[in-house]
Amino acid sequence: MSSECCSSAGAGSCCSGGSSSASSCPITYFEGMIGNCLEYATAAKKSGKPIVGIMCEYTPRELIMAAGALPVCLCGGSADTIPAAEESLPTNLCPLIKSTFGYHAANSNPFLAMADLIVGETTCDGKKKMYELMGMARKMHILELPHRQDCPEALAYWRAELVRLKDALNKRFNVNISDNCIRHAIEVMNRERSAKRKLAALMESDNPPITGLQLLGLKSIISGIPSDLEQYDRAIGMFSSMQGAAKKSVRVLLTGVPTVHGAERVVNIIETSGGLVVCTENCTGLKPVLDDVDTSGDPIDALARKYFGLHCSVMTPNARRRDTMASLVKQYRPQCIVDLVWQACLTYDVESYFIRDLAKELNLPYLRIETDYSPSDSARIKVRLQAMFETVRSRNQRC
Amino acid sequence: MIFAGVDSGSRSVKAVLLDGLGMRVIDSGVVDQGVGHQAIASQLLASLLERQGLSAKDVGGVVATGYARESVIEADVAVTEITCHARGVHHLHGDARTVIEIGGQDSKVLHLEPDGTVRDFVMNDRCAAGTGRFLELVARRLGKDIHELDGLSALDVKPLPISSTCVVFAETEIIGLLAGGAGTDEILAGVQKAIASRLTTMSGRLRKAVVFTGGVAMVANMSNMLSRALGVEVVVPSQPQLTGALGAAIIAASAR
Repeated sequence: MSSECCSSAGAGSCCSGGSSSASSCPITYFEGMIGNCLEYATAAKKSGKPIVGIMCEYTPRELIMAAGALPVCLCGGSADTIPAAEESLPTNLCPLIKSTFGYHAANSNPFLAMADLIVGETTCDGKKKMYELMGMARKMHILELPHRQDCPEALAYWRAELVRLKDALNKRFNVNISDNCIRHAIEVMNRERSAKRKLAALMESDNPPITGLQLLGLKSIISGIPSDLEQYDRAIGMFSSMQGAAKKSVRVLLTGVPTVHGAERVVNIIETSGGLVVCTENCTGLKPVLDDVDTSGDPIDALARKYFGLHCSVMTPNARRRDTMASLVKQYRPQCIVDLVWQACLTYDVESYFIRDLAKELNLPYLRIETDYSPSDSARIKVRLQAMFETVRSRNQRC
Repeated sequence: MIFAGVDSGSRSVKAVLLDGLGMRVIDSGVVDQGVGHQAIASQLLASLLERQGLSAKDVGGVVATGYARESVIEADVAVTEITCHARGVHHLHGDARTVIEIGGQDSKVLHLEPDGTVRDFVMNDRCAAGTGRFLELVARRLGKDIHELDGLSALDVKPLPISSTCVVFAETEIIGLLAGGAGTDEILAGVQKAIASRLTTMSGRLRKAVVFTGGVAMVANMSNMLSRALGVEVVVPSQPQLTGALGAAIIAASAR
């Protein structure tokens, strides 16, 4: 019975064993996400559909989809590919960049191998320069992202960049992207974003039916796959009516850098140290899905506004991150904030100052974790998290 | 009723026996950490009980802390050293608002609430520079044991600038200084100063009283260096190595 499926969610044993088929539980379904995506991409490629690699949430998937191509996220989350990257890149660079490049250098990412084009963007200097190296061997298109959200000329420039991307896609794939195609893609992406928001909202509950790690697993590196969208809806239907067991876990708001596929270690440590990630305010969490794309008016205008509004630390000033976090704190009632920074990610590293400040203002304990993809500091991270959770519990006792 | 706290740290294992009545320490001990964490802690605890003519059934509760806290089988519960040091220091110095703890592999700064609970804390990241291990290695490179640093009266020694606080590169730097004819006391004082200034960048705005604890607080002159670097008076408890185990024992007693 599907309604019974995942009744033990939160304990990490969801849907294991039993007679339920793999497709009956969304959590199990998404455990096979990479395999599913590979199958989907291979079939698409065979049918003549181009594959476009993307590296950042600023890249509008809608334009790629409107070109009849498949956008695939290529962000690397594996420590294993880093040594290969360090043959060309400096050691003191963010692990996400190195891991992504390592897949390229070792030719070990089948999606990258299939890609007919890679769209990069200037969200940080490390990535920007890495693309130059990657571009020696692969077809790249770079979106130049301006960094001043409070400047109208910057938005106009960004819009022009999206037109340039559209033209590049038209030329590369010999198509003619129409406004209607873009509008259709916007609808698909809005549907996906809406589903992601509803899934995230499951964690508003005092006893959420799933863990933060399980929520993080409900994802796909390819957007808009019909069976994925069905499974998101199934998960919403299934979990909305469920309550998790009452537990004493400390509610955590996770912010900072993205925890891409394979780089979920810190989320796992939080949830095995007495915490529960109830809200993830980063690029693998709520940040890219908070706003939909406006379906009225000029679709390129709408795409430009939506994507330029993302509050990445590359923006200066980045006031929207602060405002968003303050409202998420109200909505999800975390008891502390964990600010994750990948080593050598300068913009998130510096911006931690403001997040610490905000935490103080909101009277929430704050812990900043700077790490990379290697597990060598897991015990040290654990002790700090446990200490913060002890602090939260002792505060609660005092109240 | 007797309560015990065991601090199984990276370099040594510490244990405290506490009389729940009046929260009085009745015995304590320190042994080197080794390969068999579990056995070392068990033996230490057993030896303290034996010395006091007590047995395990006299013990009302045990709390473990330190890096190997999960491997202390006698413990009812494991609590982080951050919470334990705060409790231990608060017990000894009720007016403490900042705790600087430098242990074998850690340096931490804890900011306390007036009731002794932790308000927030910072810890060193993936690097053992500025910790006891660092000082130990440097001392050894200079032909001294960390326990032999007592003779160092660095108040009249001019510390040499040691630019690097990486354990490995500091050794290279020290070799260079020795080759240039520098004295070992000046070098050691320089290393202590480097550790102290590293702590100042970690500590943020300090609230008094500042208590310095952990094994490194026992090293002669370290508290002076720290006091000078921070610009505030630094208090060292009589047995700074034991505040974690003491805090653990107090938590064990308070749980009853």
